[in-house]
Amino acid sequence: MDVKSAMTRARRGLREERRLYVVAVTSLAVAFLCLGATLLGVTNLDAAATRWGHSGRITLFLKDDADPQDIAQLRVVLEGLGDVSEVTHVTPEQARASFLEEADVGADLGSLPSEVFPASLEVTLVNGVTRERSESIASRLGQFRAVSDVESYRGWFEKLDHLLWGARMLAAGLALLVVFCVVAVIGNTIRLAVARRRQEIEVMKLCGATNGFVRGPFVLEGMFQGFASALLAVLALLAGYLALHEPVDSTLAALTGSRIVFLSAWTMLALLLGGALIGAIGSALSVRRYLSV
Amino acid sequence: MQGTKVVRPFPFFRAGARASQPQLSKPILVLEDVYKFFRPDQPTLRGVNLLVDRGEFVFITGPSGAGKSTLLKLVYRELTVDEGRVLFCGRDIGRLTDGSVPFLRRNLGIVFQDFRIIDHWTVFENVAVALEILSIPQRLIRSRVAEALERVGLAGRGPEQTSNLSGGEKQRVAIARAIVPEPALILADEPTGNLDPHLAIDILTLFEEINATGTTVLFATHDHSLISKRDHRLVAIDEGRVVEAQKGLKHWPGSGIHTLVG
Ligand SMILES: Nc1ncnc2c1ncn2[C@@H]1O[C@H](COP(=O)(O)OP(=O)(O)O)[C@@H](O)[C@H]1O
Ligand SMILES: [Mg+2]
Repeated sequence: MDVKSAMTRARRGLREERRLYVVAVTSLAVAFLCLGATLLGVTNLDAAATRWGHSGRITLFLKDDADPQDIAQLRVVLEGLGDVSEVTHVTPEQARASFLEEADVGADLGSLPSEVFPASLEVTLVNGVTRERSESIASRLGQFRAVSDVESYRGWFEKLDHLLWGARMLAAGLALLVVFCVVAVIGNTIRLAVARRRQEIEVMKLCGATNGFVRGPFVLEGMFQGFASALLAVLALLAGYLALHEPVDSTLAALTGSRIVFLSAWTMLALLLGGALIGAIGSALSVRRYLSV
Repeated sequence: MQGTKVVRPFPFFRAGARASQPQLSKPILVLEDVYKFFRPDQPTLRGVNLLVDRGEFVFITGPSGAGKSTLLKLVYRELTVDEGRVLFCGRDIGRLTDGSVPFLRRNLGIVFQDFRIIDHWTVFENVAVALEILSIPQRLIRSRVAEALERVGLAGRGPEQTSNLSGGEKQRVAIARAIVPEPALILADEPTGNLDPHLAIDILTLFEEINATGTTVLFATHDHSLISKRDHRLVAIDEGRVVEAQKGLKHWPGSGIHTLVG
């Protein structure tokens, strides 16, 4: 098949059917946008999980009547551990102050009794400590006499994992749906285009055009539509990201100390090439079905 | 069907290939005992035998519904025979695979009553399409299309929009498209059916000029006045069989074709 001639004819086809194709590309761009937005969510959850997973931390709540000597000894033990990078002692007064500052609720809370805020040791682990390792450290520390309670944030991590798993499933489901939409919409568009170009197709067949020659431009046109839809969606998503990431970042940074990220170059490439590929497949299927001569 | 893998049954069917000497002496088209049924009880063609030599100009006639178009369709493989054989350059057309049919058609130029011109294409584009399918370089396409347009009397009118042309001009564009790949055989199915009598004569003359350069022409028509003006070989289809009319018969007696035999 002559690719150059197919491209020339595909360009003519795109020009002649532009209204038909604009409708198809716009609706598919919406589908791609949903998928892209979900992928953006997955990317950010993933980034957050990795970041928090790496900067592991353990909180040791201390007994109210703990012996200061025991606490000092505990600190020495902690600082001797290779996995620990930093230990901070938080007094009940500090805990109360930072809670009131972050919670930003009514004045009633100011009268909470100090027992609500026990003293604690905030243990920051070095980067790269696995979750299992941090669990075993936490359980060993729980046996110290001065410690009343240990929080290793395990439940929190499990929740994040669940969330991430759910988001990934949602993305996979949407991806499947998008594939179906692209195949259906482009297939239908190409079917219409074939019907509208019936006369030209007949002339070409009578002149001795092979099926490949006749079908080539339609496949290219479908490919272009798939690519254009994905590109439009990525651009819209990028525009949204650029417009919103600053205000979102400042809120997020205050809450969790993290910033939002955009889709990776690979994800964008996969979206664009995937769009082109599925578009080509959709039109090839359609053309095989409606252009059998 | 085969996509990029093209089946080329015979070297002669390849684009640009020229027939070798022994092929030139053989008849270009032979129909042997051809049957075509659209209804099981009543064949449209029943036992048609026809032999066309290279370089001939043949009128195919018969009343509407006689089977003229059907006969031509068997040659360009729009239809296949139910019995018998159609040989083009000695090869059995009925046995070509679907993938080979395009390569048969590249050796044929086909012209219809309804022109089959793409209205939103220019004159040039309408003619060039026959060469584009052969993957010929654009530069060569331009010069060969210009040449073909000159031969049909449309020199320099390539850039014009086809929708603005008159019926006679549209048919000239269709003829240019048929001759531009230099086919061995031209099949014309009532090419003057939609034209005024004086235009019909012009188009007939054009086909005769093409025939004079060595191209074989099968010209199907039921227009007696056109046939009677010329001296060409006349083949009539009558009740599914072909009847050779005598050469030089200029006066068409009565209405029935039957009266021709004799
Ligand atoms: N595809 C078809 N299906 C059924 N009958 C057909 C078909 N094509 C032609 N016929 C019939 O065959 C006969 C010959 O048709 P045709 O070859 O078109 O005649 P002509 O061209 O001589 O006017 C007609 O009776 C027509 O109805
Ligand atoms: Mg007819």
